[in-house]
Amino acid sequence: MDLRRRTFLKLAGATTAGSLIPGCKENVHQLVPYLLPDDQIVPGVADWYASVCGECPAGCGILVRVMEGRAKKIEGNPSHPINRGKLCARGHASLQRLYNPDRIRGPLRRAGKRGEGRFEPISWDEGIASWRERLQTHRGHALMLSGPLSGTTAQVVKAFMDHIGGPLVIHDPLVDHALISAVDARFGRQVVPDFDLAESDYVLSFGAPLLEHWRSPVAMGIAYGQMRQGRPAVRGRLIQVEPRMSLSAANADRWIPIHPGTEGLLAIGIGQLLLTRQDTSTDVGNSDAYPDLFKAFDLNEIVRRTEVGYDDIERLAVEFSSAQAPVAIAGGPASAHTNGTAALTAVNALNMIRDRVGKPGGVRFFESMNPSIFDQKEAPISERGFLELINEADAGRFPLVHLHHCNPLHTIPPSIPVRRLFERAEFIVSFNSFMDESTDLADLILPDHVSLEAWSDHEHLDEGRVPAVGLAQPVVRPLYDTRAVGDVMMEVGRSIDEGVPEILSHETIRDAIRSNWEALLSQRNRTNEPDWFETAWIERLKEGGWWGPARGVQSPGQDRRSPGYEYESALFDGDAAEFPFYFYPYPSLALGYGEGANLPWLQEMPDPLTTVVWATWAEINPKTAMSRGIRQGDLIRVTSPHGFLDIPAVHFPGIRPDLIAVPIGQGHRTYGRYAANRGVNPLALLGALFDRDSGRLATAATRVRIEATGRTGSLTMIEQREMHAMRDLIGIDRINTWIRGSGKE
Amino acid sequence: MTTEDFIKRMTNIPFAWSSVGKAAIILLVCGGVALVVGLLYASGAADSSAQDIQPVSFSHKFHAGQLEISCLFCHRYAHVSSVAGVPSMQLCMGCHQNLGEETPETKKLLGYWENGTPIQWIRLQRLPDFVYFTHEMHLHHGVDCVHCHGRVEEMPHTPRASSFEMGWCLSCHRQQGGSLDCLTCHK
Repeated sequence: MDLRRRTFLKLAGATTAGSLIPGCKENVHQLVPYLLPDDQIVPGVADWYASVCGECPAGCGILVRVMEGRAKKIEGNPSHPINRGKLCARGHASLQRLYNPDRIRGPLRRAGKRGEGRFEPISWDEGIASWRERLQTHRGHALMLSGPLSGTTAQVVKAFMDHIGGPLVIHDPLVDHALISAVDARFGRQVVPDFDLAESDYVLSFGAPLLEHWRSPVAMGIAYGQMRQGRPAVRGRLIQVEPRMSLSAANADRWIPIHPGTEGLLAIGIGQLLLTRQDTSTDVGNSDAYPDLFKAFDLNEIVRRTEVGYDDIERLAVEFSSAQAPVAIAGGPASAHTNGTAALTAVNALNMIRDRVGKPGGVRFFESMNPSIFDQKEAPISERGFLELINEADAGRFPLVHLHHCNPLHTIPPSIPVRRLFERAEFIVSFNSFMDESTDLADLILPDHVSLEAWSDHEHLDEGRVPAVGLAQPVVRPLYDTRAVGDVMMEVGRSIDEGVPEILSHETIRDAIRSNWEALLSQRNRTNEPDWFETAWIERLKEGGWWGPARGVQSPGQDRRSPGYEYESALFDGDAAEFPFYFYPYPSLALGYGEGANLPWLQEMPDPLTTVVWATWAEINPKTAMSRGIRQGDLIRVTSPHGFLDIPAVHFPGIRPDLIAVPIGQGHRTYGRYAANRGVNPLALLGALFDRDSGRLATAATRVRIEATGRTGSLTMIEQREMHAMRDLIGIDRINTWIRGSGKE
Repeated sequence: MTTEDFIKRMTNIPFAWSSVGKAAIILLVCGGVALVVGLLYASGAADSSAQDIQPVSFSHKFHAGQLEISCLFCHRYAHVSSVAGVPSMQLCMGCHQNLGEETPETKKLLGYWENGTPIQWIRLQRLPDFVYFTHEMHLHHGVDCVHCHGRVEEMPHTPRASSFEMGWCLSCHRQQGGSLDCLTCHK
């Protein structure tokens, strides 16, 4: 070993300095006793509370381990019919929402100019008084922008908005409006049906992100496992058709990189072949209705436009027709085009040709529940619906705007000028628990509890084989001076006028939930004992909710046999010559549309396909990249007709050479220390193109061009394939270089 | 070649004895610092170095010895939990509220109680995080408090009676036929 004097001194110094590091540790520990002991708490022994996860609208049942009044760990609730004891990473990370250092800790009033981000703390009495005053001034002209709502809270918010007068607008970017309207067109029901993957043996998926965020990803994961390994003799097959290899495609038996926006055409091609094959189990009535839809395109034309070979299409058709229980599903990129509903309608038609509706392993609808306890649900609006809202705001209809668990300035592209809703408002009230881009513009912030501190219920009565209502109870005392939004609305609603709706007349949201549950349980669990409800209520709290017996499959009214929506080609924003690439921003597995970006565990979770952490990246086919001299990690400028973003490139073999894909989720300007100023928000590049029939934002319908900037981006990956001159995880390379360098002196 | 020649020859080879000396000194200094820090760190991991200087000078000798109060009266979770539990302020006051005689130390206790703040005791006994230990299991197997914590009823202050190191645990586990599986304590 060639050990020079300088090297020796450096190493000796580093060793000594290193040995001092533990000395920085605070090593006096304290024992702090209770002032008054709690009978229910034994220190060192955990209590487990059943509740409901609040991270996404799927509403999985959870069990929370609580010690000494502090939530420590979250697991899935084994008796909950949706997730059956399993839980996804986002559910586990919701602990960090509770303990997040950037939570809003009490009511705030704007101190500086709007958007300046300066707020001063006020008391709840002041906050509520100031809100009530505005409500009275602007009776009938209030707007409530809310994230997804469920159960009693949904009723309370709706009743409150009806009471004070003004629209309740539900915004949830993950809702697949194209799927809903395609199902409605075909079956006449405004619900997402149950795709019975577990019993299927051939799943033909047109981009459905079933392992990422399609409906309840946990329930889908369980069904997927059943489909693959749950039956002794059958291993179900999964075929994924989409331009970019998603996690679902990576798990599929075959991935078909179709030309963006032509998923519906492929379904039509398969349908043509199915109809010409005589061995389909089609009933005559159905097949009569389809030739119009399926014969409109020549198969050669379909091969040319989808860029899927004739042999491949034929193979899919043969497999789909010969499988015992095939099912065709669609979503993700397939519904993110201007022809999304039309494409999904064509995919649904495949299920009808094979007569897979109402069959095990097919598309199922269930009898709806009789009791209309959790009625008055407001459906989420599509992004196109915002244009109308903005017009109304321009006309001065909404001087008072409320924000509840949503951040439209981050989840809606600027080409839809949502900001005008805020600019035209005289007063903005936010109930969000975190400072985000939208709440930053608020005049008054009345922070809600986070889900682990709050009462709520989550009903799944219209969907799923087992009707279920999850019951969420607070597992810890509220950490800060926050209040449940339901409680605040009830208090203000009662004081504002006579004629208060019944649901608002309760003292707290807990009382409202209890009265709903009394109605729900009295239908089944009622006994003759006078305090039957108390007993049943405690039982339901322990169980984490109520689930009924499995219900029968209902065949939907097939009165809408004519195809609901004519197929048309997808439209794109941007000239093909100037913007040669398709662009697909997709919801990040961990961060969703950005709501998870303030939780470090989710930031730290490597993307399953690229292994990138804590960043935004642009996926580019290695061939495309090489031909343009773009190396792994190089900063590329992605330009659309609506702006440009500089994003580090990741060579990703699972993407078509004509496509650039970027995960959504980062790019927060303000959302706490872990999210702010990290990465970019690819939605900023999107044009205001919508699915023709459902109004869903066509997120895949913008074209871009790319150019190298000559700079290297900041990118951290766990797996460092083909990395050149890039920042790595712990900088071992740099240390090696440094030591080698000093050895040569 | 004579011995003289050999020595001459050897001394002609340019060998910097002084630099070896310097290196040795540097190594010694570094090693010394590392040793001291390491010792402090190792002791810090189990807190044995902390002195029993508590915010209120509580005497086990008086309470457990003279008054013969059972350990489990105050440390009431020891037989149901992994931790023995520090008595709540209310438990202290259960007796102290009715005492006529006041000393400076009991006045301090009253002060805490009236302010509604708990006493922040300095922790003396602590196992590292990688050790899974439960009081409950040991009490159920008939191990007395004294066995590990010493005769606290004779101690005005409470030093660590045992080392609480792995060898010490294992010697008892061997004698008593306790589990010797690694995963029993390191889960």
